[in-house]
Amino acid sequence: MSYFNVLYAFVALPILVALYNIVPKKIRPILLLLASYAFFFSYSKFLIVFVMLSSLSIYLAGRKMSSLESKKKEKLEGLEKEEKKAVKETYQKNKRNVLVFTIIFNAFFLFIFKYLGFFVKNTNHLVSFFGGNNFLPIIKLAAPIGISFYTLQAISYLVDIYREKIEAEKKLLKVMLYLSFFPTVVEGPITRYGDIKDTIYEGTRVTYQNFCFGYQRILFGFFKKMVIADRLNIFVKIIFTDYMSYSGPAIFLGAIFYTILLYMEFSGTMDVVIGSAEMFGITLPENFRQPFFSKNISEFWSRWHISLGQWFKDYIFYPVSLSKPVKKLTTGIKKTFGNRVSSLTMGGIALFAVWSLNGLWHGAGYQYLFFGYYHFTLILLGNIFEPWIVAFCTKAHINRKSIPYRIFQTVKTCILVFIGELFFRADGLRAGFSMMKRILTDFQFHHIGREIASLGLDIKDYIVLAIALLFVLGISILRERRIPIREKISKKPLVLRWTLYYVLIFAILIFGAYGKGYVPVAPIYADF
Amino acid sequence: MEKLLEILEELEPDVDFENCENLVDGRYLDSLTILSLISEIEDAFDVQIPTVEIVPANFNSAKKIWALIERLQEED
Amino acid sequence: MKNALKSILFMGIFFLLLIGTSYWLLPQEAVYHYGIIKTAHYDILGEEKDTIDVVVVGDSLIYSAVSPMEIWHEYGFTVFDSATQGQLIRDSFKHVQVAVESQHPKMILLEANVLYRDAKNKPWSYDYEEWFKMYNPYQGYHNNWKRRLLTMFQNEDDFTNINVFKGFKYITDSEPTTKTNYMKKSKKKKKIPEENQRYFQQIVKYCKDNNVKLVVISTPSMKVWNYAKHNGIEKFVSSYGIDYVDFNLDDTIDIDWNTETRDQGDHLNYKGAIKFSHALGAYLKKTDLVVDHRSDSAYQSWNEGYRIYQKSLK
Repeated sequence: MSYFNVLYAFVALPILVALYNIVPKKIRPILLLLASYAFFFSYSKFLIVFVMLSSLSIYLAGRKMSSLESKKKEKLEGLEKEEKKAVKETYQKNKRNVLVFTIIFNAFFLFIFKYLGFFVKNTNHLVSFFGGNNFLPIIKLAAPIGISFYTLQAISYLVDIYREKIEAEKKLLKVMLYLSFFPTVVEGPITRYGDIKDTIYEGTRVTYQNFCFGYQRILFGFFKKMVIADRLNIFVKIIFTDYMSYSGPAIFLGAIFYTILLYMEFSGTMDVVIGSAEMFGITLPENFRQPFFSKNISEFWSRWHISLGQWFKDYIFYPVSLSKPVKKLTTGIKKTFGNRVSSLTMGGIALFAVWSLNGLWHGAGYQYLFFGYYHFTLILLGNIFEPWIVAFCTKAHINRKSIPYRIFQTVKTCILVFIGELFFRADGLRAGFSMMKRILTDFQFHHIGREIASLGLDIKDYIVLAIALLFVLGISILRERRIPIREKISKKPLVLRWTLYYVLIFAILIFGAYGKGYVPVAPIYADF
Repeated sequence: MEKLLEILEELEPDVDFENCENLVDGRYLDSLTILSLISEIEDAFDVQIPTVEIVPANFNSAKKIWALIERLQEED
Repeated sequence: MKNALKSILFMGIFFLLLIGTSYWLLPQEAVYHYGIIKTAHYDILGEEKDTIDVVVVGDSLIYSAVSPMEIWHEYGFTVFDSATQGQLIRDSFKHVQVAVESQHPKMILLEANVLYRDAKNKPWSYDYEEWFKMYNPYQGYHNNWKRRLLTMFQNEDDFTNINVFKGFKYITDSEPTTKTNYMKKSKKKKKIPEENQRYFQQIVKYCKDNNVKLVVISTPSMKVWNYAKHNGIEKFVSSYGIDYVDFNLDDTIDIDWNTETRDQGDHLNYKGAIKFSHALGAYLKKTDLVVDHRSDSAYQSWNEGYRIYQKSLK
């Protein structure tokens, strides 16, 4: 059951809300867990045991680490400083073993389900160089839904306990709910235990206001997905499967449309997800913050799929860059070349690790790895050249805070993003490169009118798209200015408010690209 | 504190560090700049900043960073 | 309490608006005759009364294989696909009834595969989903806004009005199959579920009462069809004196399973549909029950429809 299924949003969800309000407060988290498991089951059937296994493993590991911690404290009492250090070290080591073992345990399943096929294919390929044929059997496994998301949550839970950022949870049920919470389990946002534990188990009544606010957000998500993304999908599908028949400008337009599609689909899903959780009084972290207003690629990634970027920052970037081997390496550099070069090296190494993993996380395929390294290169180059750019601007008397310069930066960033997403969507790396080649070598603009007309959308579709995009842009600008839109609307007179809702609902029903002749976009991130 | 401000200004000359309260959340310091900063602080104040402490709450203003340094110095 | 009343009022206005806009979007004459819900659910009601000669009822195999406009172009017969995805025979019965009431066709062709689809294999939510779809009158017609907006300004009833695909689904995807020789002769017979047998009896009786010729057909599908099913259907159907035509055994169609299936031999794609429609037209011609309407002035919308149909194939 996808989040954009009417059955989910307008049948199952209201029923759950009603039940939630009827049952006693203490039962409510259990109800949420049952609902979450039912939801999970509707996707992955008995693969649900894997999310249960993960929950159990991190729960036990958490308990173990916390008991080691309390034992350590007991032992420490009345010891001399020297002995203290030794005791601390042994316990630290034990804790680390528990941590590492459990992470490997969880990552193992992720590997089996997501990367085994890729691994087997590449091993076979390698072996075939030496004359072997189909060295390993190719197995296709259906992965439990959301495994890429909940595994990251599991790891964050473990590491946060290890770092003593949070206390290990005493109740298994709570850990189970944390990993499988139905709004977040399929496509995130990747939450941290410390951030949501208070609200998720609170069991506060669903209020009328939360209910309405939740639905407003859900409707907005449906609008983005059904009116914009599903409509663009027609165009995008044709361009990306049959790119050889189209001119460079048309392919580039395809890349732009795909990027918009991806944003509308993913952020639309997040609207439904966050809106759903909001009804139950649970505030989930935002996953998008108007990414297309970014000044550079590094900023783009702090506004796009935020929870993933944050996860990589906390659990890969800083630990790697401040790890002993990296530090050792960079102290040498620091002495000869100074702090800037040394921290660039340090950050470069860590960034490389982050983007390798980020690429792989999106899927086992070389185009994803390429996508990762593409962004790695852009971010690193951006940082290396920054001082020169600043110097150049001062010399050429360009005000880096002026509006034209800001627009230049934003457009540049968007174009770089479009190119990245082109490789991301292309059917393999080879296709990506040939598309890119066409964009760079084929400037035939005289076909573009005919091509645009032949890509499955007619003039009325383009008008709808333009109006819908302007509407979303307007909301984005308001959000960027931190204007609380829903609060503002709720203060308007009833007639005006309802008119607005009806317009939105009927815009989706009438202008949505669903039903005959349309192929809706499959949930893109659910497969990652 | 003086020394810290000096380090900060050298890293990002455009920012008003004495009054800015959202260095990280406002993206005045990106992650690579934070790395340089950490490395400078570790040298200048002879402390070790563990990964756990690298959260926006500790780096959002010069005052907060200073508080972190003092806390780490005491713990040692 | 106040909030509850407000919610009810909100929903009430919503349904009123839904009905109002339905009148705007759906084919008005059909709505007048059959009501919103029925019109929205059965595409065939959007056709002019008593113009369709052959109605093909069945599941996705039908709407992937039978393109009425190809048959029109070649033979001038008016055919309509009253097919829905994963159709159960109880729904087929309803489609037959609606078709007969509105079109009084000469023939009804029923896809044999629905006889084997067991309602027990549907997920528990199936009925609810179907029910839900029933009550969204927009399902098939919301795209009419394009036409309505146009006619609002131009004040002419242009031909985009016509349902040019007549129930056919135009899909060009192609995924070859690895199977070969799926119709191996055998003596095996696959049993038809009891409940389906009963529905079939009802359909037979209904067609007889209304003087419509019923024929059971099998469209080419490597994945779905086999000889055991063939035998099962042949035995069962002939006991009612109903004709059965298995196009899987018709070598003259000559489906190329490398390029003419969209999903590894399950459904045909557009290329396959052209071939199959040709064969079906030839079969219809042989029956001598249907006539060529191509030069009939009352059927000019079909000629215009064919022109638009050709334009929509990219």
